[in-house]
Parts: sequence; C-alpha cells; structure tokens
Amino acid sequence: MVEDFTIESVDQEEVLRYLGHHGQSIPQSLQQRLDKAFEDCKRLARPRASIRFFDIEKHDQEADGTPIVYLKDSSLELRGTSIDTHLQGACQVGVFATTIGMAVDQELRKLALTNQLGELLFDATANAMVERSADAAETRIVEYAAKKNLYTNYRFSPGYGDLPMETQPALLAALDAQRRLGITLASTMLMSPIKSVTAIIGIFDTPQPSSHASCANCFCAAFCNLRARTGRTCYE
Amino acid sequence: MNKPASHDAITPHDSASSLLSTTQVSVSPAVSTPRFPAGTRRPLRIKDDHLRRVLEGKDFLVFDGAMGTQLQAHGMPAGAIPELLCLSNPDLVTAIHRSYVEAGSEVVTCNSFGASAPKLGDACTVDELFLAAVRCAQASGARYVAADIGPTGSLLEPMGPLSFDDAYELFAEQVRAADAAGADLFIIETMADLAEAKAALLAAREYSDLPVFVTMTFDADGRTFLGTTPEAATVTLCALGADAVGINCSLGPSDVLPLIQRVCAWADCPVIAQANAGLPHTHDQDTVYDVSPADYVAAIEAMVDAGVTIVGGCCGTTPDYIAAEVSMLTKKNVHKRVVQDNFVVASSQEIVSLRDGDIGVIGERINPTGKRRMKEALQSGNYDYILSLAIEQTQAGAQILDVNAGLPEINEAEILQHIISDLQAVTSLPLQIDSAVPAVIEQAIRRYPGKPIINSTNGRDDVLRAVVPLAAHYGCALVGLTIDEEGIPTTAEGRLSIAKKIVQECDKWDIARHDIIIDCLAMAASTDQHAPRAILDGIRLVKQELPGVRCVLGVSNISFGLPFRPLVNATFLAAACAAGLDLCIINPAQQRMMDVVHSWRVLSGEDSNAQYYVENYASRTDAVKRQLPTGDSSHASTSTGELPGALPAEMSSTGDAATKAHAIVGTAAAEAQAKADDAATEAHAMVLAGRKEPMDALIRHIIEQHDTMFAINHVLIPALDEVGRRFEKGVFFLPQLMASAEAAKAGFDTIRLLQKDSTSQLSSKGSIALCTVKGDIHDIGKNIVRMLLENYGYTVFDLGRDCEPERLCDTVVQHHIELVGLSALMTATVPAMAETIELLRARAPWCKIVVGGAVLNPEYAQMVGADFYAKDANEAAHIAAEVLG
Repeated sequence: MVEDFTIESVDQEEVLRYLGHHGQSIPQSLQQRLDKAFEDCKRLARPRASIRFFDIEKHDQEADGTPIVYLKDSSLELRGTSIDTHLQGACQVGVFATTIGMAVDQELRKLALTNQLGELLFDATANAMVERSADAAETRIVEYAAKKNLYTNYRFSPGYGDLPMETQPALLAALDAQRRLGITLASTMLMSPIKSVTAIIGIFDTPQPSSHASCANCFCAAFCNLRARTGRTCYE
Repeated sequence: MNKPASHDAITPHDSASSLLSTTQVSVSPAVSTPRFPAGTRRPLRIKDDHLRRVLEGKDFLVFDGAMGTQLQAHGMPAGAIPELLCLSNPDLVTAIHRSYVEAGSEVVTCNSFGASAPKLGDACTVDELFLAAVRCAQASGARYVAADIGPTGSLLEPMGPLSFDDAYELFAEQVRAADAAGADLFIIETMADLAEAKAALLAAREYSDLPVFVTMTFDADGRTFLGTTPEAATVTLCALGADAVGINCSLGPSDVLPLIQRVCAWADCPVIAQANAGLPHTHDQDTVYDVSPADYVAAIEAMVDAGVTIVGGCCGTTPDYIAAEVSMLTKKNVHKRVVQDNFVVASSQEIVSLRDGDIGVIGERINPTGKRRMKEALQSGNYDYILSLAIEQTQAGAQILDVNAGLPEINEAEILQHIISDLQAVTSLPLQIDSAVPAVIEQAIRRYPGKPIINSTNGRDDVLRAVVPLAAHYGCALVGLTIDEEGIPTTAEGRLSIAKKIVQECDKWDIARHDIIIDCLAMAASTDQHAPRAILDGIRLVKQELPGVRCVLGVSNISFGLPFRPLVNATFLAAACAAGLDLCIINPAQQRMMDVVHSWRVLSGEDSNAQYYVENYASRTDAVKRQLPTGDSSHASTSTGELPGALPAEMSSTGDAATKAHAIVGTAAAEAQAKADDAATEAHAMVLAGRKEPMDALIRHIIEQHDTMFAINHVLIPALDEVGRRFEKGVFFLPQLMASAEAAKAGFDTIRLLQKDSTSQLSSKGSIALCTVKGDIHDIGKNIVRMLLENYGYTVFDLGRDCEPERLCDTVVQHHIELVGLSALMTATVPAMAETIELLRARAPWCKIVVGGAVLNPEYAQMVGADFYAKDANEAAHIAAEVLG
C-alpha cells in the first residue's frame, strides 16, 4: 500500500543531536532559524511510504555459511547474521520504503549555494522528519500485525550490521518505490530523494522484548489508528 | 536519511581494507553517431494510414493496460526483473499481450520498461532483450508494437549522479535495439524528470525515424516528483518534436483528468492518457486497485471530451478496462481542441506565457560585458555573485533570465553549463541562452531541461545556417537580430527586410511564428536622433508584415552618451511598448524600468482590473524610497545596505550583546563620533553572538576611525579565533560556529565592497581547492569548511560535489594550488577519494591534501594517502594555517 502522512512536529532534541549539541545554550537568533527550518521542511516535505508484507519462507545458509532469509513470492533475499537474528522466530515481515520527497533535496541544493547554516539546520530537521515518516510507516505495520494478533519488533535497514546495501535494489523494486515514491538508486546504493529510509520489521506470534508495551511515550502514537478503529491497542 | 550517510555510517563489519576494495559500478555506455543530429532532415516512418491519421489527431488509438500487474497475477515474484521474462517465459508475455489485443488494443507495449544496460546487468544485452520483447509483442498479433522506454532508475545531475549525456547514451542503446528489432513506435513513459524525458526523446529522434510518444507521471499536487508541471512538460516535449504527449501512472483516472486538461491546452500534437486503476491498497498480502472498469472508463470519456485521442491503462488495469474503453470510443468522435498560440517558454518547473499584447521582462544582468564583478566571478569560478543576481532579478519581477558567459579567456561552454545548472537551484525562471558561438549554444540548450530562448541569430547567411537548425532541433524560441553582412540598417524598412529573411529561414525548418522573436536593435539617440523613430517603426512593421512574430528589445543602448540614462531608457521602453514590443531585456532591479512595465500593463489591459498595480503602487509617491513589490525574506536582509534605524525587529530582543549593538547602531546618526573602540568591541561581540545584521554598519564605523587592516587583524580575525576556541572547548556547537562565520563574512563583505573604491586590494593568504569526491553528493561539511577558510582570508576554489579527479587536478595545476581538501561521506566513495589522491600526487606533487567527512578517521586518511585528517571545519582551518601560513 501507499500512504501519505501528516507530520506535525519533530523532536527538537533529536534535531539538536544531529547538530552535535551537548547542552550549549541556544541563542534566540538560532532558535528562530531552527523554527524557520522546521516550517520550511514541513511545507516542502511530502512524507509517504510504500509498505508490503511477506511470509517468511525459510532461513537458510549460503555456501560460505552466510545466513540468508527467503521470503514467499518475492525475489528479495535478506543476507547476513544481523537480519537472520532480527527475524529469528518471525512468521512474516513488514517491509517499507519512505521518503519526504525531492522538494527537500531541491531546497538543500538551493541552501548549499546561498545559505550554508540554513542548509545545515534544514538538513538536520529533514533527518528528523524522515525518521518521523519511518515511525509512521512502522505504525502501519504494527496495526497490521495487531489486527492479526501478531507482534512486531523494530525496524532494521540495509547497511545496519551486515545486511548489505546491495539489498536495496530488490527491496525498492518489491515496493515499486520508483513509481510510487519517486525513489531512485545510484550505483553507490545511495537513494534519491536523499531523505529516504528503507526498513524491514519482523512480525511474530508472541510479544517481543521490543514490542510496543504502552501508548505513553510510544513514537507511533501520533500516527496510530488502532484504538480508534478496533477499540484496542497493539499490546492488549 | 540514507542510512550509509548517517553518523554511524561505518558498521562494525567494515574494515578499512574492505572499504578500499569496494568497487563502483560505473555507467559509461558506448558513444556512437546519431542518424539525425541537428541540421539534418528527419523523415517520419509511419506504419500505415491509420497511424498517420492518429498522428494528425484525426483518429483514436487504443493502447494496452498494465503488464506488471498481469505478470504478478501470473505468479511473478515481487522484486524480480519483469523484462527478463521476455527471454525466460516468452509464452506468458505473449499471452498477456494477446489478452489485450483480444480486448481491443491496437498497440501493445513490449515488456521492456526497465531494459537499460545497468538494470539488466549480466542477465542479457539490451539488444537481446529488445529483440525478445518485440518478438513477444509481435506474436500477439497486435496491429502496432510500441517499444517501451522507462526511466533509467538513476537520478540525473545536478540532483543525482547520472550525467545527461550518459542517460542519453543509455536511451540511445535502447532506441537502436528497438528499431532494429522491428518496433513500430516508441513510448517513453513514467518520466518524473523533464531532463531525463528530454534525453530519451532526443535519443529516439536522433537514432530512429519512428514516431515517439512521451508521457510523464504526476502526483496529486499536479507536479512530477521533481516538480515539473503538466504545462512545462507539454511545452518542452512538444517543442522537441514528440509525436504525442501525455500522462501515465501514479494517479487514478479522476485525478488525472484535471491534469490532462492542462496538457490539452498546450499540446500541438495528440494527447495520450494512461491512468492507474486508482490507488494501490493492501488486501491481506495482495495489492489491489480501487477503481472498477466502469468508473475508470467514465473518467476516460471525460478526457476524450477534453481532447485526448490516445488511451490505454497503467498499473492495475486489465483487459477488462481496455475493452470498456474500446466500447466507449465507438460512440465518440475526436474532439477538436483549441491550442494556445501564446509565446511560451519553460523551465523544468513552470512556463512563462505571453498573450498577444502582453509585455514580458527578460533580466539582462548575467552578462560580463562591461561589468567587472561579473568578469571576476566568471574568471574565479565563484558563482555566488551570479546566483545573487539571479535571485535579485527574480524577486524584482523578471520572467526570463538572460545568461551570457562570453569571456575570451574562459571555457565558455563548460562555464555556461555550470552556471545554468546552479541557476536552476535558485530560480525557477526559464533561461535565455546568450552566446555568439553556435557550438556553445548547442551544448547548453541540448541539456537544458525546458524550452529556452536562444539569443541569438541574425541576418548573416552563415549565422542563420548555423543557429536556426539548432532552434528547430532542440525546440527553442529564437531571437533574430536585424543585422546582416551590411551592418544594422538605418531605416525601419531595412530592419523589416532582414527580419523577413530570418523568418524565411525559420519557415524552412518549421519553426512556429510565435517562437521567432525579432530584435530591431536599439541604437544610441545621441549619435543619430533619427534612430529611435526607425527602431519603433521597425517594431510596428515587423508585427504588421510578419503576423505572429514577436519583438524583443534591449533598450539601454538608446541612451548611450546621454546623462541620466535611466530616464531616457524608461521613456523609450514606454514608446516601444506602444509600438508593439513583446519582450524587453532590462535590469529589473532598476525601479524606473519596472515602473514602466507595471504601468504599461495597466494601459494595455494585461494587468486585469489593474489589480497588481493597485496592490503594489497604492502607497507609492515619488518621494518615498524604492521598495521591491515582492520579496523573499531569506534574501532581503543580507546586503541591501539598510538604514541604521531600520534594523530587523528581532535585533532588539536577543541578549546582552545584541541589545548593546542595537543601541549603538540604532542611534548611529546621533553618535557619529562615538569611539570606534566601542564599535570594535561590539563587532567582536556580534561575531561571537552569530549576528550578521549589524556587521555592515559596525565595520564601516571601524574603518572610518581606523583602517581596513585594523578591522581585519584586530577585530574579525581575533573574534574568529575566539569562536574557534569556544568550539574546541564545546562551549559552542556547530550551528553557533557557522552563525559566527556568517557574521564575520558579513564584515568581510563590507570590507571588500569598500575596497572597490580604494587602490589597495586585500591580499589572499593562499589558495585551497575543495570538493566532495566522485560519486558523493553530500556537501554540507565541505560547505562549512569553505565558509570558514574564506573568512580566514584564503582563496577557495570550490569544485562542488561529485567531482571528477581530472577536473580537480586541472584546477590545482592551473592555479598551482598548495592545499586540497577532499570530503567523503559514504563508505562507497572512499575508493574514489584514494583514486583522486593518486592522480593529484602524480599531477601536482607539490600539493598537500587534507581529508574529512563522516566515514573518515585518521587511520583511513593515512590509508587513502592524505597528508592530514580534519575532524571538523575548525581543524581544517588550523591545517590551512599550518600549510599556507
């Protein structure tokens, strides 16, 4: 499925963390520029995700002993110890690609040529924004699982651990990401728009240590329709 | 963010050696010679009379529906390469084609959407794939086989890594293969990038004589993923000679309808629509589309009523949808459309359209003729000034920007392209490509994503022969100067006669009248007072005798040799408007000129109900100072030389230092004799506070009391040093360091501005070249380093991102640069850094090299062969001081 998200806010602490902040006081003039960066980002960003679900066919090993996870009806093959561990015991996976769009790249390029501090602040804000977009995509996967009385762990992206970046072409193809989201891939495996995230989430019969356990402080809460639509939460 | 670019980009499993051995797949397709380059006559090979009537807009044509949806329904796994089924399971592919033929499709689209060399990899060659794909389609018994060409899958420069020329070569390979395999036409589809669509269309037209249809894909906001509107796409692709244009994919038919109506208003060729069957939804694990064939065809019928003559389907459509379309069309007649006959040009983002009687403004300032700062900018490669001119002209009301990089001592073609690329980042206005060299013009217009104006051709035979075919081939509007071998005629009739000659040549190449713009050439009134009358009469005659042709004028020559030239220019512009001028080439930042334009638009009726005029001139009198009618706040406060009392409101409320500065600056008039030491203290404080706004006034004050060297060595540099210390200690974090650098830069800008008037020149402390290595487009870190180094007085040659090692070495050798800074943010581009350093060592052995970026550390720096590793911009400045002093 393809879904658009509305992102009302990002965590300023997160933005500051990307900027290397360690408790320094923020001058008001800088705060105003941070606020402007957020307003611009909100105006230009088009947060959207393409999401699919696959049954896990089997865990196997390649000739050299590298673990590999096969998915049903998909040519997507997930290699490496990290993803094998991530999906140990999972029955399905939720796979998504999300982006906040090319207008953000275009603004970054404009700022690179005209306003370097603006570029830095906008970039950090956009990083926080695409993480929120990934939160929203993860929420849809949690909802899908909860409706089937299943449980999720957390998102895991190519490039994490030993899951190779070369997973990207098949992953993006399985999500029809170029048509649906406008995501293209360079030979360096770099995605455009630059603020894009792909990830794989395990879906399990039983609650996982990382499964959501409360709505309080849950990063999904702003995007979650579960209680409104079904009258229950993902952990009940 | 892309994961590899994040802060922990190096995963525990990466080792330094594996980093270096990462191989990059480079796309360098073979280059061959086109069959139909510019200047040749391209015939059109049309299979039969029905297709001919379709291309004339007289018959309907029915395409097929989705291929991918059908292949998945037949069990193709998600993420597989569907094109390879042409070889591995041709019967399945043919069966799907046949199901569409049975439903009534006249054209089947062969299964070659993503069949470019990089996507196919080792599986098969492009030739093999297209041969198989066309065979599968032909075997279905379809009347016509369309060779399908989709996007390359890589993003084009400047936003992405793929060059226009490489994209063109990939498409050319597909075109040659499809033509040889026996396709009947091309469908270039699902394009989101106008540059990529142009590359594919040029490849098809230059390598084949078959008809070419082009569709782009739009989002619900009415733009492609890269921001192109239906109008910009239609105007550009039609001008380039597409045989049909339209929209496919992304949206359901009811959302495509309003967008295709916008295409219909501008397309001078048949319009094609291939919508999705609604939006994809997940039903359990299956993807389903939500619009039924009946609802689908109802929306298609409305498109046909709007003038669409070529229909089909995209994602989610099946033979049922096509059958419904065929049955609907049996009851329909082709709807005759009214197509706009305006003067129209396009950038990749928007069109500029002038109705008959409108006056358009072309900004003249990006031109080095007689302009010292422009010349310096072109020579140094620092284009900030040029970009600021573009922003300023855009805000002042220019609708098109003239771009000229004609200096004898520079590589005009290369620099012009670089500037055009950068300009598109800061303005969405269409460009007028201005050069005296046809080869330079061709290189620029070929890659320009839009429909530009060429400035110019003229009545000389050799110039006409060289330039007019370029305008025809690349679909540009064309300025024709009324000058020939004999010079500029003194009479109106003489000008008309040259205009006729130009139009005649354009007619030979089928250039539309509204794309021809005659310049009657303003001559100085001071040398011949008959000249102005001859020019104005010339405009009238051209408009009268050559209906449809437009007139343009660069007005400022008229006042040459006279005092108070702007007044003469403005009066002449008003007279020229009355004579029928369509476009003026002026400096829109001169208020007097834009006043004429805005007031003329009231008198001509262009400014309907005088709405713009009333909104922007209601409070104007001759007494008040100039105000730009519109403005972008991000630019407004930087360099406009505000009055001391007019500092931004935010000034007054920002901490101790700022308050003090405000007190000083705000009452500057009363305290003109205040001690400069106070100003120096305040300037120091403002740099530390990261406040650039008061710096101009403070530095002027300091220089009045002391001198330039005092301002630099006793104010700005010590302040920067203090900022650096605070950053190192963690008292400041990065944005504060940069805000301080901005403030210091504002101070240096003032110093440079004042220096223009004096004989002494600021000496540079040495030259440094910076770039992000080949393949890497993350340039934030490099930009920060540049800013800091410039503040410390170094001359920085910024070679941008994704920099070819050869280009860097050329610059380093040419300017004998002693320090190079290289940045890489991705593990995948570390090998490119090593290669760059190797080449630098060979070609510029004197040069020291410093590296930095998220994936680098001292160990990697040593391994790639660098002399230094800088963990941040501040350290880079220390290293520069060590190497260059």
